[in-house]
Amino acid sequence: MMRHIHALGRATLDIVSSIGRAGLFLIQSIVCLPSREGFHLWVRQMHFVGVMSGAIVLVSGLFIGMVLALQGFTILVGFGADEALGQMVALSLVRELAPVVAALLFAGRAGSALTAEIGLMKATEQLTSMEMIGVDPLRRIVAPRLWAGFVSLPILTVMFAVVGIWGGYLVGVDWLGVYEGSYWSNMQDSVDFVDDVLNGMIKSLVFGLVVTWIAVFQGYDLIPTSEGISRATTRTVVYASLAVLGLDFVLTALMFGDLG
Amino acid sequence: MDDPIMVEVKDLHFSRGNTDIFRGVDLQIPLGKITAIMGPSGTGKTTLLKLIGGQLVPDRGQVLIDGQDVHQLSRRSLFKLRRRMGMLFQSGALFSDLDVFENVAFPLRVHTELPNAMVRDIVLMKLQAVGLRGARHLMPSELSGGMARRVALARAVALDPDLVLYDEPFVGQDPISMGVLVQLIKKVNQALGLTAVMVSHDIKETLSIADYVYIIADGKVMAHGTPQTLDVNDDAHVKQFVHGEPDGPVPFHYPAPDFFDDILAPAGQFS
Repeated sequence: MMRHIHALGRATLDIVSSIGRAGLFLIQSIVCLPSREGFHLWVRQMHFVGVMSGAIVLVSGLFIGMVLALQGFTILVGFGADEALGQMVALSLVRELAPVVAALLFAGRAGSALTAEIGLMKATEQLTSMEMIGVDPLRRIVAPRLWAGFVSLPILTVMFAVVGIWGGYLVGVDWLGVYEGSYWSNMQDSVDFVDDVLNGMIKSLVFGLVVTWIAVFQGYDLIPTSEGISRATTRTVVYASLAVLGLDFVLTALMFGDLG
Repeated sequence: MDDPIMVEVKDLHFSRGNTDIFRGVDLQIPLGKITAIMGPSGTGKTTLLKLIGGQLVPDRGQVLIDGQDVHQLSRRSLFKLRRRMGMLFQSGALFSDLDVFENVAFPLRVHTELPNAMVRDIVLMKLQAVGLRGARHLMPSELSGGMARRVALARAVALDPDLVLYDEPFVGQDPISMGVLVQLIKKVNQALGLTAVMVSHDIKETLSIADYVYIIADGKVMAHGTPQTLDVNDDAHVKQFVHGEPDGPVPFHYPAPDFFDDILAPAGQFS
């Protein structure tokens, strides 16, 4: 019995200290003055974290838009409401699917790579040698990656939604024969910029910060062995995915909870 | 030792988990000399370098560099102090995304406002000194272990530091690279007038270039002196280490139950 209490206490302490370390880590790396050098590093990371994730996000967005249109059509047509297909596709994408699925893909593609990269730098003493040269790795390695994730995920989310809506159009209008005018005009009437687009963007900003934060922290805080790196990479994907799904519920409740 | 002191370690205590690594270590590193810290594997030599460099914090005691207590400094002041230090890592620790030239140029680019032409000249001079000017465009993954360590040496002295910390510089080197590194460290040290702290267990090589030696075992300084005095030291620990004897105060066997009992243990009692 005492052993279980002891283990519970130790686990709680570990979790609390880990959250504390992660918080300090975020503040120390994100609060810094912009510099020309920092800007160059950020641009490089935007390429690695953002541009390189573009293909997977675009392809997934296209397929999800197409599937949405296909599934939506089969239900809507039963009620004779197939003109509302554009509205259904756009609202599902902009409010929910684009921010959430883009963030999940981002966690798998960019998050795991960030953890492995920083972890390997730690294991090969590159972070320590940087510290010994008198350069803070939080500023030079972590900060550009954090900012790149924070900025690039909302852009990827917009790309996801746009391509998804186009995919829905291909299936709904070109294939299933929904009237083109009603697809676009219903969408235009029902999608509100502040309620839908802006709220979706706020979600993706939050997800961008959280996913990148988890990824870089797991890389920085791991045990520098091959097993440690593999565990941390797995943890990044698991924690980031759970955080995205959990936060999505909280944010959705805050944004749309009072509509009913 | 009457030389002025660059680094002073006072009553240093450090532990990891329940294991005491240091139990009151006192050291004095004289200015402009090569001081070696030696001892069997696992005695915490690298840990001591990390304590001197301020990467680890001791449980008790002080590390003074030029009179400044390393562990009382703010993060900013510590990073400022580290600009006067160079460290050669056991693995080389070169930045894998930069080529040889940019690795050596890194400290110059981040800490000085020198124009590109001058950075280039300095980097080429440092690479020439370690014999790798021709390898400047190679990536770290294309270098052999010995070459990587020479590039790391060029990077460690790029800013002409006052103090250089060498972590096991000779480990895993073939005899030729080892000879090259021994000569290089000696030459670079003399030419730049550096204070060097070298952690190593390669006795012959280290004793050939060190001016003063500390031997650490069991968390304490076991003996210290010039290489000549240590060679004739009578202490059992020192004798075993300096002459490379397999058994002595540092046992060959890791603590274990009696061999006879262990072999004849009944099947149900295997541990």
